[in-house]
Amino acid sequence: MSKPRDVLLDPLFNKNPIGLQILGICSALAVTSKLETVVVMALAVIFVISGSNVSVSLIRNQVPSSIRIIVEITIIATLVIIVDQFLKAYAFGISKQLSVFVGLIITNCIVLGRAEAFAMKNPPGLSFLDGVGNGLGYSIVLLIVAFFRELLGAGKLLGFTILPSTNEGGWYLPNGLMLLPPSAFFIIGLLIWALRSWKTDQIEEEN
Amino acid sequence: MSRDSTGKVLTVAFVLCVICSILVSAAAVGLSERQERNKAEEKKRNILQAAGFYEADVPINAQFSKIETRIVDLQTGEFTSDFDAANFDSRSAARDPETSYRISPDLDLAGIKTRSRYKDIYLVMDGGELQQLILPVHGKGLWSTMYGFISLANDFTTVNGFAFYEHGETPGLGGEIDNPGWKKQWQGKKIYDEAGETRIKVLKGMVDKNAQNAVYQADGLAGATLTARGVGDLLKYWMGDNGYKPFIARLKTTGVKQ
Amino acid sequence: MKALRNLLDKLHPHFTKGGKYERLYPLYEAADSFIYTPGEVTDGAPHVRDAMDLKRVMITVVFALLPCFFMAMWNTGYQANSAMQFSGGSVEGWRGWLLALLGFGGDPNSLVDNLLLGAAWFVPIYLVTNVVGGLWEALFCIVRRHELNEGFLVTGSLFPLICPPTLPLWQVALGISFGVVIGKEIFGGTGKNFLNPALTGRAFLFFAYPAQISGDRVWTAVDGVSGATALAHAAEGGLQAVMAVTSWFDAFIGVIPGSMGETSTLACLFGAAVLVLSGVGAWRIMISGLIGAVGLSTLFVLVGSTTNPMFEIGPLWHLVLGGFAFGLIFMATDPVSGAMTEEGQWLYGLLISTMCILIRVVNPAFPEGMMLAILFGNVFAPVIDQMVLKHHIKRRLRHVQG
Repeated sequence: MSKPRDVLLDPLFNKNPIGLQILGICSALAVTSKLETVVVMALAVIFVISGSNVSVSLIRNQVPSSIRIIVEITIIATLVIIVDQFLKAYAFGISKQLSVFVGLIITNCIVLGRAEAFAMKNPPGLSFLDGVGNGLGYSIVLLIVAFFRELLGAGKLLGFTILPSTNEGGWYLPNGLMLLPPSAFFIIGLLIWALRSWKTDQIEEEN
Repeated sequence: MSRDSTGKVLTVAFVLCVICSILVSAAAVGLSERQERNKAEEKKRNILQAAGFYEADVPINAQFSKIETRIVDLQTGEFTSDFDAANFDSRSAARDPETSYRISPDLDLAGIKTRSRYKDIYLVMDGGELQQLILPVHGKGLWSTMYGFISLANDFTTVNGFAFYEHGETPGLGGEIDNPGWKKQWQGKKIYDEAGETRIKVLKGMVDKNAQNAVYQADGLAGATLTARGVGDLLKYWMGDNGYKPFIARLKTTGVKQ
Repeated sequence: MKALRNLLDKLHPHFTKGGKYERLYPLYEAADSFIYTPGEVTDGAPHVRDAMDLKRVMITVVFALLPCFFMAMWNTGYQANSAMQFSGGSVEGWRGWLLALLGFGGDPNSLVDNLLLGAAWFVPIYLVTNVVGGLWEALFCIVRRHELNEGFLVTGSLFPLICPPTLPLWQVALGISFGVVIGKEIFGGTGKNFLNPALTGRAFLFFAYPAQISGDRVWTAVDGVSGATALAHAAEGGLQAVMAVTSWFDAFIGVIPGSMGETSTLACLFGAAVLVLSGVGAWRIMISGLIGAVGLSTLFVLVGSTTNPMFEIGPLWHLVLGGFAFGLIFMATDPVSGAMTEEGQWLYGLLISTMCILIRVVNPAFPEGMMLAILFGNVFAPVIDQMVLKHHIKRRLRHVQG
């Protein structure tokens, strides 16, 4: 049995879902042009993963294995719709910017991956920690990507001007590439490079 | 009952579906009122921003109290009361065969193919006097349809504000239609000349301030010729004979009375 | 000379294993082998003897580029001088000071005046490219303990040639850094990159700072003068608009605004001759590229369009406008990022040239498509080679079983 501490903290750097398993890239490209949207997205994903992990874990001994994937997806979809409805009601501006990407959390491989690989085999408490840990691992990468994209692409952080841009009379010429989704690829690539230079055991063996 | 028997499969599936559908419908129904309000406020905010007197810390409905919504029949230029002004959606009206109008290709400067026969327009009133007229406009940019509002002073030709609230143009190039500096230049531009001709134009480069026609010209966007051209064309369309011109002509003669 | 040899020999121990500057050995080696022929002989068992080593390949490419360098400077100067003669204005800042010192007259008909002014714009970009790019190259060699090789020489020559003259120098530095690091070094350095580093750097700038590398104001090195490229005119008003600003012959010689080294098809053809005769450049890619461009643009002319004026630009024009000739001859044929198999090269050339014409004609946002087309081709080159190899293996396997 794994230790609760490891279950929570391993997904941050040692087994980061984006950095090591390269999962959840779609939303990492789409919502990271601003920190603000990322914070909301990260909270939503943490809620969905931990919620689905706990629910799946609670009923793991009841679910017939022939329909377990459907059951997992139904639970995840329910949670995602609830999150989406709440965002539309209480954070309308941000939910408009996130558009379909809240709904697409359903197809985020990290969520189903954790439900299937961890929650089906472990008790609710540990599953909850695993969900939070993986959600945080995902969030850290998104936050780093968004930090660079917003800072270099608009000269701002969370909407506050850090580098005054030329079209507002400052000196900083915003980097337009950073506003386009492909820039997230470059940043994630560089992040993985840095991560694997630090933790060399993550490098896959060449075959 | 064994875990993989048919009975168990059906029971689990049924119970799960019931619980999930209760949760989902509870969330959707319970929050729908708030969501509707958000949507309505969002539209009002866009209108206020185009009119140039949006304040972030004053409740939107209070700010909007000066504004009256009317529906106009574009063909005749008359107001119509066939629709509920508060819930009128000209985008769905453009799709509904009952209210849709096919723009013939040679007139279709904005590149939108169809539009609604009726448009929601907004009158900014002060003490019974019309101060500003706010008109929704849209048209094709380079990649996307750009939606915006233009606000005119009560001479119906001087621009007070012009802003887009929805578009998918390239960030940094066409996306610069959101640039505050670029939006600001519209203030004081004139749509029509003395003879009533639609003269407004978006140039490829910068406007020469001393030129005779500078008041009818707006700066282009560096590196976004096609987006800028789209903006110019959609203005030409909507401010022209097939757009709001008949309505504006009528407004000049008979005023804002229904 | 003897003293220099002695100095290098005296320094040698410091850079070998256990020496003080062991990690900096690549720099020492580069300096030594740049000045002297290496004294070492290959000591491993299998060795291929060929006069065509990396150094020779790279030097040949740089030699083939010489006319482009010349035209880059002459035409940049000519365009600016003509613009100043036409609309006034003068050379500003340190350039003006330096040129005045050299007796610069600003006459667009004077060869020297054009070259001087062109050099004042081109040389700084060239220097920044090579200093910054060279530094990255050296850094990675030190970290990886490789020897510095000549791979960067070509990238460092190509990159300045595909920049507009007015590109800010900090952007030049940023662009070449991105090209060298992301386009090449992270894949393992020279020979392992799958994208052309010079184009990767340019593409980065193109999307990051579009205002300084596209549009109408960047091609003529005079403040405030707008001179659209011929392709931009074509996208705007078709054949008529192009003919109004240039003749076919001028475009062929390269007397048109554009990125500095790419305007002259004539200079590129000289390069093509050198590359093909020396066996450095893949002639199959050039020929199939030519066929693809001529074929597709002819098709567009025949089909015709009432709304898109680019349709009426015929094959002859497409070949001499923009970066088509330069890209096809010097960049598509890059042996590292291009296709390697013979059949693959035919496909690869076709893919690049048709994609280029397609972007030019059909995509409303980009009047020029060569850069993106070549990068697109680069990405597909390994797949194409793989397909060709698979096909060969399959064909031969039949004989084994039969």
